[in-house]
Amino acid sequence: MIRRNGLSLFFMVAFALALAGQSFAGLGAYNDDQLGSGGTPVSWGAYVTSADFAVDVAENWQSEYLQFLLYIVVTVWLIQRGSPESKTGDIGDKVRPGSPQWARVGGLRTMLFANSLGLVMGAAFVLSWYAQSVAGTAAYNREQLSRLQDPVTWPEYVTSPDFWDRTLQNWQSEFLAVLSMVALSIYLRQRESPESKPVGAPHEETGTEA
Amino acid sequence: MGMVLPVSACAAGAGPAVEQATGRFYAAVAAGQGAAACALLTDAAARSLPEPCATSILDVGLRGGPAEEVAVWGSEAQVRLRGDTVFLHRGADGWRVRGAGCRPGGERPYDCEVSG
Repeated sequence: MIRRNGLSLFFMVAFALALAGQSFAGLGAYNDDQLGSGGTPVSWGAYVTSADFAVDVAENWQSEYLQFLLYIVVTVWLIQRGSPESKTGDIGDKVRPGSPQWARVGGLRTMLFANSLGLVMGAAFVLSWYAQSVAGTAAYNREQLSRLQDPVTWPEYVTSPDFWDRTLQNWQSEFLAVLSMVALSIYLRQRESPESKPVGAPHEETGTEA
Repeated sequence: MGMVLPVSACAAGAGPAVEQATGRFYAAVAAGQGAAACALLTDAAARSLPEPCATSILDVGLRGGPAEEVAVWGSEAQVRLRGDTVFLHRGADGWRVRGAGCRPGGERPYDCEVSG
């Protein structure tokens, strides 16, 4: 059971550990900031339920879901010669015995199922970006008030430099990582990894994963 | 007070506690009870005044008036009074005033007679 789900379990545990680590590191930084501005340090429980923690988590989530959404959707239309992540032609639906029922029935259900990965990733991106904007408004306003400045409304916040700084600093790193993967996987190999072309595959061979 | 004020916040439930703290602070100032008013300041705000705080807080000439709008965001709050704008911080012992006698500074922070 554990062996058959090793990949999911590994990332689940890594996610939990990293999130826990972020909560303690974030608490330390938050309390340093509080003491520096004449405020009061808070407990771990208060910090992990605060808007400051929520916005830091959500801004990273939205960019990761955007990265996968774009990777899933843009590769439908755009091709990169030599990349194992690029398709070579029309993939088609390839219904066969054993295919999921929603792939076989046709109509709306098959249309939804045929786009379900992109739809779910897209919904996760939109929801986490919205969560970033709401938590960001609250965290920004707490900071504004602690600096003796007026709070802002949600529409004002989503057009503010703070919101777009948080958003774009995450997006640029995701786009660079995807570009690196697309381009480097043309010429470089990782033996046994399904994300790489086979070691012996020619550089110009497109759409073959190990 | 009795009237419902506009409260903007993710912690809107804190509005009455913020208003109470503000009301106690300006009531103490109006009654000439400097020590009581200073006890409602944050430590940093109290330190920002010349010693002794109990005298100098009364010399500032703070005028409160009825609260017109309350904004509470996490551990920070702002109350717009008819005659002043006041900023509060929530610490372990409740809401304390961190800025009073404040004039808007445009894009910059409010210019406050008492701040810390």
